[in-house]
Amino acid sequence: MKKRYPTKNRVLLVNITRLGDMLQATPTIAGIKAENPGCHIAVLVEKQFEEVCHVIPNIDEIIGIDLGFVVRNLAREKDGINDAYEYVSKMVQELREKNFDYCLNMSSSAYTALLLSLIGIKRNGGWTADDEGYRVIETDWARLFATSVFHQNRQYNSLNLVDVFRASADVDMHPRNLLINVVPEAKEYAQSLINEAGFTNDGPLIAVQAGASQGKRQWSPSRFVKMIKILTEQHNARVVLTGAAKERSIIDPIVEGCQSANVISVAGRTSVPQLAAMLSLSDVLVTGDTGPMHISVAVGTPVVSMFLASALGFETGPYSEGNIVLQPVIGCGPCNPNKPCSKPECHDMITPELVAHLAMARVQGEVREISSDLADPRGVIVYRSRFDSYGFCELVPINGKSNDPFMRYRAAYRKLWLDDIGGFEVEGPRGGTSLKVLGEELHGLPEVRQCAEQGQCLMDSLSLYVRDKATTALQFKKINEEISELDRHIEELGLSHGPLGALTRMFIFSKENLQGSDPLDLASQMKGIYQDLERRCRKFAEYYASV
Amino acid sequence: MNPLEKLAEQMKSDWDRRVGHDYRFWMGEGHLDDTQMWRTGAEDFLAIADEVTGGTNSVALEIGCGVGRMMKAAAERFGRVIGIDVSRLAIDKARELIGPTAKLDLVVGSGVDLAPVESHSLDFVWSYGALACMPVPVIANYLVEIKRVLKPSGIARIQVYLGHEMLVHEHDTLHLRSFSPENFSHAASLAGFECSVWCERELGSDESVSLGLKNCVVQLVPSRSSSASSGAIAHALLPHGESRAAHEVNPVALEAWMALNYAEALADSGEALKAKQAVEYVVANCQTATIDTQDILSRVLTKATRALSDQVGAIPLASQSHERVYDENLVVLKERFPKVYAQVVAASEPHVDHSSVRETKDGPVLFVGSTCLDHAEKPQAAGDAWARRSLHEERMKDAQEVVVVGFGAGYHLQSVTEQCEKPVACCEPDVTVLQKALRLRDIRPILSKLAHLVVGEELFSWELPHGSELLVRPQSAILSPEYVERAKSFFYSKRGCSELRPRIAVLGPLHGGTLPTATYTYQALQRMGHRVRGIDVSGFNDGFMLLDKFVKNEARQGVMRGQYVDLVSQVLVETLSEKPVDILICMAQAPISAQALTELRNKGVITVLWFVEDYLRFTYWREMAKYYDFVFTIQKGDCIEKMKAAGAGEVHYLPTACDPFFHAPLDLSPEEKEKWGAPFSFVGAGYHNRVQAFASLANYPFKIWGSEWPSTKPFDRLVQDESRRVKPEEYIKIFNATDINLNLHSSSERDGVDPSGDFVNPRTFELAACGAFQLCDDRKLLPELFEVGEEIITFSSLEDMREKMEHYLAHPDERKAVSERARARVIRDHSYGRRMEQMLSMIYATKYETLRQRESGSPWSDMIRRAEGEPELQERCKRAMMRGDEPGLDGLIADIVTGKGKLTETEQKLLFMHHVKSQIVRMRSEESGLRK
Repeated sequence: MKKRYPTKNRVLLVNITRLGDMLQATPTIAGIKAENPGCHIAVLVEKQFEEVCHVIPNIDEIIGIDLGFVVRNLAREKDGINDAYEYVSKMVQELREKNFDYCLNMSSSAYTALLLSLIGIKRNGGWTADDEGYRVIETDWARLFATSVFHQNRQYNSLNLVDVFRASADVDMHPRNLLINVVPEAKEYAQSLINEAGFTNDGPLIAVQAGASQGKRQWSPSRFVKMIKILTEQHNARVVLTGAAKERSIIDPIVEGCQSANVISVAGRTSVPQLAAMLSLSDVLVTGDTGPMHISVAVGTPVVSMFLASALGFETGPYSEGNIVLQPVIGCGPCNPNKPCSKPECHDMITPELVAHLAMARVQGEVREISSDLADPRGVIVYRSRFDSYGFCELVPINGKSNDPFMRYRAAYRKLWLDDIGGFEVEGPRGGTSLKVLGEELHGLPEVRQCAEQGQCLMDSLSLYVRDKATTALQFKKINEEISELDRHIEELGLSHGPLGALTRMFIFSKENLQGSDPLDLASQMKGIYQDLERRCRKFAEYYASV
Repeated sequence: MNPLEKLAEQMKSDWDRRVGHDYRFWMGEGHLDDTQMWRTGAEDFLAIADEVTGGTNSVALEIGCGVGRMMKAAAERFGRVIGIDVSRLAIDKARELIGPTAKLDLVVGSGVDLAPVESHSLDFVWSYGALACMPVPVIANYLVEIKRVLKPSGIARIQVYLGHEMLVHEHDTLHLRSFSPENFSHAASLAGFECSVWCERELGSDESVSLGLKNCVVQLVPSRSSSASSGAIAHALLPHGESRAAHEVNPVALEAWMALNYAEALADSGEALKAKQAVEYVVANCQTATIDTQDILSRVLTKATRALSDQVGAIPLASQSHERVYDENLVVLKERFPKVYAQVVAASEPHVDHSSVRETKDGPVLFVGSTCLDHAEKPQAAGDAWARRSLHEERMKDAQEVVVVGFGAGYHLQSVTEQCEKPVACCEPDVTVLQKALRLRDIRPILSKLAHLVVGEELFSWELPHGSELLVRPQSAILSPEYVERAKSFFYSKRGCSELRPRIAVLGPLHGGTLPTATYTYQALQRMGHRVRGIDVSGFNDGFMLLDKFVKNEARQGVMRGQYVDLVSQVLVETLSEKPVDILICMAQAPISAQALTELRNKGVITVLWFVEDYLRFTYWREMAKYYDFVFTIQKGDCIEKMKAAGAGEVHYLPTACDPFFHAPLDLSPEEKEKWGAPFSFVGAGYHNRVQAFASLANYPFKIWGSEWPSTKPFDRLVQDESRRVKPEEYIKIFNATDINLNLHSSSERDGVDPSGDFVNPRTFELAACGAFQLCDDRKLLPELFEVGEEIITFSSLEDMREKMEHYLAHPDERKAVSERARARVIRDHSYGRRMEQMLSMIYATKYETLRQRESGSPWSDMIRRAEGEPELQERCKRAMMRGDEPGLDGLIADIVTGKGKLTETEQKLLFMHHVKSQIVRMRSEESGLRK
């Protein structure tokens, strides 16, 4: 794989707010350690996640920052701002003194970018900000990360964000699963909970994570009840409902609805290590796209996961081989994470019977195929997770041929990025058809490509103007206007032709990251960006034709 | 300490102080002897307890019994009488005056409850002349307590004032509260009583009568319902609550005023020593009084000192003078303060010298009349103590220089210069006092240490040292009260102008000629660098005008207009809550209701009305003046007196002006000159006197611009553009293009030139600023604004006008010379900028401390202080504060622009904080919102 910063010595990983994010970074952390033996890895996290980080392997230092303190003081009248400011100053100073030589920030938030700009770490794998406060994303992989999560482009991406993150940090040697330490005391505690449960069944232990981070991703309790009843009544299963205390409003009704000695809730009774232990004792976890899903993957327990509403299995699906992902097929999905949904019809597409069947099947072994009678691929696509030959996680549909209109684009993009920014030797395109594809199937692509060529010409002209002392201000103004107009047109083409969005968004991110102020150098960088766009257009068409 | 306990402390300390001074005056209805006090006490008791049967087993209670004025009479009717009062000194005095008696229990109470009294134990509870002075939360609590201690068959009688609600500060223990009868009755019913007015008593003052107050005894009969919370009762009593603004209605001023009147009465009756004590009481306790008590003080002092000077054995100064000391002092004075030296040597000895010297163990001290300018026995120790106490005052903390008013014999100055590390200056009102001090003792060390010394009137042209703080010697305040008051005004207005940056809003009218004045005022303040908001409500005018279209009945139209103004007022209150101000300047006819003004004053906003109208023609000030802390008028004399009588806080004369940035000479094109110009022009509405006067100019080359002119001959030819209203940007073209602008002030009653016309209209200043020539009718107030004949040409009659029109038309050079002088004058003296300086100086003169406290109480001030070690952060705080931004991060980042060059570290940190805040807020809302 192409690497930007192959050696790393003192690494700062910024992963501030979510447990799931932290777990998803574990292959990267392990990879950096493996490729740079003896390097020091620190993670910067919100103070409340500090505790959790102790169970993450390969971390040498945990730096907790109290953002709550900043916010509380800002909300306070009088000199609260001064307290917050002093806290920030102290934090920045302390971080500077740690002399990190590499930073990986995969949070796209503006504040982490600004913080890194303040700390002034020279080499970055992810987001930071420049002196003027603009967002800077140095690496192509990180730009691809930003491109892929851009809502319009999500459907066209099939690279798991764990891999994109990993590739941003130049990591090749990575474990093919997430990592967490399961401590013996936690395991004993989890075992004692099972022992005390008074199960009358003696079949598989199935963990169920019913709660979700958002209401619209929350499968209804009645469906869970139905699914659990099938498991306990027809399959002799024992069911443990996991969750946090605040999720009891969802979990308690499920327990009550089941009315079974074989269903217990441990919601609110487990810490993160204890939850990890509980999942390690389970045979399978039934869940949505949740933090416990990643924990389960990390402890090696397979998951059957439902990607409802805004969740997309390709992006954040379980990162290990042999997990089951259920993705409803619905025009509105995956929906915008920031918008509520008053009628989540995607929930109807997954039946309790199907989930119960998949859970039991997975208990019994690998599930590589299921009948489309059980799960009609027009309503829900069932995927199995695995790794491709380049070490990237992928999802393979197992319930028959679907009419997923995005599949071909996803495949083409996957090849494009592995080839173009990963430097992998990807199975070659079949020549000859690309022109046809360009013109007829990928609407707008010829135009984008043409713009990219035009851009290169403009940059040549600009370079000439810069060199020519006789160039008038008016000429500069005119060419600047032409460039602006061209770039605007490229952006608009991406917006009006959905499948091209990722290409143009990558172009925009690259353009935003021009560095320096020398006009000739800038023109040369810009020309390179138009060349990238042109090349990628061509390759995309070829790969699209080849799949 | 909870708010009620704080109030109790306040009441206790206030009443102990007053009783300590003179119990008969403060608690005994002001009687000069005890016999009279007992007699009126008995009379008042009979009135309040009329028809209340007593008996040997009956128990009664008086709330606020003071020194027991009514207790003797009560003891004759009831088996047992309890008197409760917050002042320990009062209760001690009552015990001393009444002597031991088994029937009476005199109890020191908390001041806010009846804790020592058992529940349901009393037959009769009364309070006379006490409750009305208590803060509303205390009254409410007492109502609850009365209900508790009364037997179900008992009754209470309370003397209160009912009628117009009075705006009293929440910590005021002296001003009378009065309540609307409905509110009081509602409050009493919430407390669990049926309430009725038992009788009305005579009122103490004419003022109360004019305010529509009634002095009532109300009867409270317990009902079956239980008491609501005292908070709810307080709210019912006074829904808007009492004033929280520190100096809105100043109890200290009232106390000073009462004591000084008392002192005057004492001085009149020959009780010089007691009068002096009363004055000393004022000096010691009422230093923050803001009302004009100086007049009384000086009268009292003249009377009292005259009486006292015979009693004090003083030694004539002449015999004590030491020429050698004087000469030596003069050498240093000449070297250090040559200007003062010149004043001293030039000053002649007064014809009648009331001064004298007395020897003490510390050295000689100086007396003027009976007032010792130092301590009469221990000047050094007293000087030390005064300096220590004064220098420890909170306001001294940030002072960069201390200015002491009063030199005396210099003992206190010696102490101040020794104790204070900051530069010390002194200002002595009277040069002869300094002269005497120079003869009295060796004051060279003091002169050497003083940073500045100014004497007499020189103070008022002195460039005050930056950040200086004033310390006034009480003795000087007694001897030169007027001077000291002027010095304070001068000092605080100067300080205010240089140090304060209050948030100011300018509220214009809905429509009319004052609308541009509001804009000029706002722009002037903005140019001066003030934190100013222009509140333009003219957009509401269309709606206001629509009312008459829908409602035709005139009376109903009036009601609708009132309600419309209420609505606009509510919008104003809201916008000023979102973005608060310290000073609200309302232009005449600004649509703001009494309720809104009261609400704003309760929030500490200083309300100002610039009444740029003829007070005789527009009379709504009669109802509204009392809601303003300051009223500025364009007329003097009666106008000011009447505004004051209508209840305005302070009233000052402030004429209108011009805006030299707008009213300026223009370079007009020939077409413009043709369109707007004429040999003679007039711009303005067709008022009666103008119609009458200008009809005679039918044969002149004369153009009239403006609305409301008749369409009959000769106006059909004179009046331009179909008699439409001319915009400001148009009339400056007319002024510029016209050879002779006529400026005839309007009158709806008189013909031609109004012989009693006083105020000067804005057009006078605007014409002058445009460099245009004008002929203006005689106005009484014009000569103090312009040099008549030089800077402005006036006419006294229509005949005179026509003569001058012809003369000046024939003499363009004369016109030019006058116009140039007029323009120079208005630019120097009559711009809106100048007016705003004058207005703010007058506001600062009495409201400096209030505004300073508001400013230093602003969170920005805390932030600025805290950011001492972070210059950029501090600078950003200051800038945001100056912009009038609300305290907070948004203000600090408002002017950070990304992509316009390198961000500083401070900017990056602030942006970081901003993004942290929005991210966390967003995450929280996602968690809560999207879970649903």
